[in-house]
Amino acid sequence: MENKSNNKIIIEVKNLTKSFNETMVLNDINFKLFEGESLAVIGASGSGKSVLLKNIIGLLSPDKGSIKINNVEMVDLKRSAKEKILLDLGITFQHGALFDSLQNWENIVFKVKNKEKLTDKDAKELALSIIKRLGLNSEILDLYPSEISGGMQKRVAIARAICGNPKVLLFDEPTSGLDPVTGSLIDKLIKSAVKTVGGSAITITHDMASVCKIADKVILIDKQKISWSGTPKEMLKSDNAQIKGFIKSTNPKLFI
Amino acid sequence: MNLINSIFKICGAIGQKFFKFLSNIGHFFIFFITAIFWIFRPPWYFKKIFYQIIDIGYFSLPVVGLTTFFSGMVLALQTYNGFSELNNETTVARVVLTSITRELGPVLTGLMVAGRIGAKMAAEIATMRVTEQIDALGTLGTRPMQYLIAPKIIASLICIPVLVLLGNTIGILGGYIIAIFKLEFNPNIYLYATVEYLQWIDIIQGTVKAAIFGLIISMVSCYFGFNATKGAEGVGYATTASVVISSVMILTSTYIITALFFG
Repeated sequence: MENKSNNKIIIEVKNLTKSFNETMVLNDINFKLFEGESLAVIGASGSGKSVLLKNIIGLLSPDKGSIKINNVEMVDLKRSAKEKILLDLGITFQHGALFDSLQNWENIVFKVKNKEKLTDKDAKELALSIIKRLGLNSEILDLYPSEISGGMQKRVAIARAICGNPKVLLFDEPTSGLDPVTGSLIDKLIKSAVKTVGGSAITITHDMASVCKIADKVILIDKQKISWSGTPKEMLKSDNAQIKGFIKSTNPKLFI
Repeated sequence: MNLINSIFKICGAIGQKFFKFLSNIGHFFIFFITAIFWIFRPPWYFKKIFYQIIDIGYFSLPVVGLTTFFSGMVLALQTYNGFSELNNETTVARVVLTSITRELGPVLTGLMVAGRIGAKMAAEIATMRVTEQIDALGTLGTRPMQYLIAPKIIASLICIPVLVLLGNTIGILGGYIIAIFKLEFNPNIYLYATVEYLQWIDIIQGTVKAAIFGLIISMVSCYFGFNATKGAEGVGYATTASVVISSVMILTSTYIITALFFG
């Protein structure tokens, strides 16, 4: 499925293969993410979605294949060059990965404060402006991650990812563990982050309602391969048994 | 045939373990070199170094002080009992001084710090590893080796020699208190003997040992923490391994250093 417009390719994954010991997790994965596009990656637990994301950001090295971000080959790229590219990405991890020893505001502005040498006061104001967009209270800023709920931690992690308005956002299950209202808020935020900054996003999720709200394109990873791809509308009409199962079990209303 | 197969299996398992052991040593060596490299490369996170100094130095002082204080007291008492024919002020003072400055001060401080700080460092870094915080650091433009590991090593190299010097002083004070108040030695003679037998080489050797112990504790703890896997179990393993390996390395290296200085 190619983007019909002549948008720039932001991320291009070609023939990506990854295995751990004897177990193959991803086999010959190919896709492109275009500028201004939001891609959702769906698949059963353990299908290799997070492994795909970790390969893209260079935390894992693929056995075979190529990963290009803004036309720069990431595989075997020097660490310093890789770090520069990663600075332009906003990433959330599946379990938040907030730094326990830092207060929430320090977590949110961690990258930007170091990069732009902000004072504590300016950095805190920046953090405040971001958490307001996420429906969080200013009181959480001075607390540590362990002092707030899991849902709040998730939002702080998203705040850290979008701080500094990165043009490429990578979310690993951003709405899991959140109540429907907050989940919907996150969906809106992801959508607006992509639209307003003209950015691109890859979101790994199991939430079909979320996929319909945020994605322009969906890929399904099953049995180590991309077994289906299309738009959210096509997804709702798809005969693919796994997609049908996902939709039915996560949000039956979508089928009505 | 079965017997031959069993022998092959046992040899295979031993070989596998041996190669894994060699591979771990290789990994540790690479980690060591990388960590040393990052110690000397800016930016230096002074705030983090400062917090580590407080944690390692200031907060370890009570436990180090207590350990060396009582060791000094025990040493004075045992020396007095053991050398009953020579139970004069100078013998006790000399044995307490030499034992504390050359061996007991550095080793006890090293073991105490390995238990208190080594375990903490390993657990902290291992938790960060298994909760993806270290991965996240790397994606936020910060090098984990520079941000997490280097401050701990720098602070250990600064604090442990200072702790040993303070521990030595407290240990000698413990011996002095026993000698004066329990054994009823003459304080002036005891003090004079202590100062007279105090040698620079002992202080230098103790400080060198302390610096090496600091390096051992911080490197081993950070290595096991940094390479932790398997969630909570991995954190537990990293913590235990860091304390055990650090302690064994401290006891081994103290012999090597002593042999080099006085062998």
